[in-house]
Amino acid sequence: MAKMKKRSVILSILLLAVLVLVLFLIDGHASKYIIRITRLCAINIILALSMNLVQGFTGIFSLGHAGFMAIGAYSVALLTIPVAKKETIFMLEPLIAPLNTLTLPFGVALIIGGLLAAAVAFFIGLPCLRLRGDYLAIATLGFSEIIRILITNAQSLTNGAQGLKSIPKTADVWWCYGIALLTIVFIALLISSSHGRALKAIREDEIAAESMGISLLRHKMLSFMISAFLAAVGGGLYASYIGTIGPDVFQISRTYDILMIVVMGGMGSITGSVMAAFIVTIGQEWLRVLDGPLPFLSFWPENGVAGMRMVVFSLLLLVVILFFRNGLFGHKELTWSSIGNRLSRLAGHKPAKEVNGHE
Amino acid sequence: MSNRVLEVKHATMRFGGLVAVNDLNMHIDKQEIVALIGPNGAGKTTAFNMITGVYKPTSGQVLLDDRIITGMRPDRIAHAGIARTFQNIRLFKALTVLDNVMIAQHLRLGMTWVSSVLRTPKYRKTEAEMYNRAKELLEYMGLWEVRGEIASSLPYGMQRKLEIARALATKPSLLLLDEPAAGMNPAESAELTALIRGIRDQFHLTVLLIEHHMDVVMDISDRIYVLNYGGLIAEGMPAEIQSNDEVIRAYLGGDDDEA
Ligand SMILES: Nc1ncnc2c1ncn2[C@@H]1O[C@H](COP(=O)(O)OP(=O)(O)OP(=O)(O)O)[C@@H](O)[C@H]1O
Ligand SMILES: [Mg+2]
Repeated sequence: MAKMKKRSVILSILLLAVLVLVLFLIDGHASKYIIRITRLCAINIILALSMNLVQGFTGIFSLGHAGFMAIGAYSVALLTIPVAKKETIFMLEPLIAPLNTLTLPFGVALIIGGLLAAAVAFFIGLPCLRLRGDYLAIATLGFSEIIRILITNAQSLTNGAQGLKSIPKTADVWWCYGIALLTIVFIALLISSSHGRALKAIREDEIAAESMGISLLRHKMLSFMISAFLAAVGGGLYASYIGTIGPDVFQISRTYDILMIVVMGGMGSITGSVMAAFIVTIGQEWLRVLDGPLPFLSFWPENGVAGMRMVVFSLLLLVVILFFRNGLFGHKELTWSSIGNRLSRLAGHKPAKEVNGHE
Repeated sequence: MSNRVLEVKHATMRFGGLVAVNDLNMHIDKQEIVALIGPNGAGKTTAFNMITGVYKPTSGQVLLDDRIITGMRPDRIAHAGIARTFQNIRLFKALTVLDNVMIAQHLRLGMTWVSSVLRTPKYRKTEAEMYNRAKELLEYMGLWEVRGEIASSLPYGMQRKLEIARALATKPSLLLLDEPAAGMNPAESAELTALIRGIRDQFHLTVLLIEHHMDVVMDISDRIYVLNYGGLIAEGMPAEIQSNDEVIRAYLGGDDDEA
């Protein structure tokens, strides 16, 4: 077992090295377009894992992701846009102090956004997490809309419907993948810890979990607040990635986009969310051609059908769910030992018996 | 310190117009095995739910080690030392046998999630202790070989045993078993009887069990309480209960009291 563990560590380091090399090549040589999609994949990994923590691992149905993203995005924007730019952006009403004279490093702004979202999650969770699941879904959906309305109307804080532009594009490939990797490692460590097992117990059976001494409110709150923190970090990266944000960027449909990734990858699988983040992000880009004119189809409208790509994409998702009811990975994870077992089975050997990660 | 582990005083549970448990009085002393019996719908599981905090009694009190626990949340009551199994098995179905027993030790972790995630030396030590204890319990229950299996894939009898192992993992002083022999054949229930006795001696436990298998009940119990229509109709040693007219009548057929 110790030997296997050592081999896993070596393989992981190798994989990491390959990843860094690939990113280095993309960053240095690929087109701007490819680099953009590459970054978006990483941001979607963070957002999907953050949602998977509550939905997949804890079994809480929260739909507030767009709202938490907005909190992170506006925090980053307001804390990193240079002071001089802020004056030109806030034309209708000046930005309130001390934000008007303040700029902070990108990393600090991300953390502040995350903490702010976690605090908001605490106050939403306090009344709602005690109630049955569907109440939280409705409450978080409502919260998401309220945030958008607040953003639209708090002119002197958010510049209202005009939005914020000139957000420094700090979130390069390295920022995005660095944080995505941290998120993956963090979630993996959390999920495999005693606290993570408690979250899964709540997902499996609340009554049994509570009877085994697990405080439902405290553990759901933990999951919900961490998820909000990560969603805000994802939102902050996203703001820096697109450079211009407004209330319309954080519609409920953002939440559904992430939900789609989580469902496709498998509720309760880190590997699934990571894989699905790539598949969905790249897939949606490729399918973009469907929105435009399709000259080789004579019956197709000349100017194309806007939104066609989402129709096709939703159909694809439907197919995935029909054939893999629990998403691509279900609850399973891809680990080095599971790959090893599969390979040796292919080679006709009897696989080494695998008994959880405790030994 | 008195010898009293559990005391239920005038506990009543009403669901709308239905009185599921009516003015229940019972007590259990250290290391006793006590059975709670009665026909279907008599209110036995409801009594368990009041004791474990799933329901808050409409009136009356529950005391554990002379401390009032009425109205406490189930997780606090588990901390205080009561563990239970469920009539309709409630395992963490999609998780492994080992994880089921590890989870039940989470309440004794005594560390924040930050220590958990960072795998501090103290956490790793505790996790190793939890693992050893899980191993001990699963070996005792004959489940160590299947530790890597998904709980719901186990045969029925093993699932019942896993529920007991999971309850024991919380380090209770009082163990409540809701129909542990349900669905078992005579040989299996005889084995279970020996197992429950063994658990009591090995872990210095006090046991309260609900059971319909009379052979199990008569064999294992020090004392028996009999419920009917939510009310206590008898209490005593197995021999006394077996010859109690009112109990026989309750079991022979619901409403023929006046016959
Ligand atoms: N949550 C509830 N709401 C309404 N009625 C309930 C509830 N729980 C139990 N009851 C009712 O209380 C009565 C006692 O039920 P209980 O489950 O305690 O019986 P029991 O003695 O455990 O029976 P069995 O041997 O069938 O398990 C029944 O009439 C049942 O329908
Ligand atoms: Mg019952």
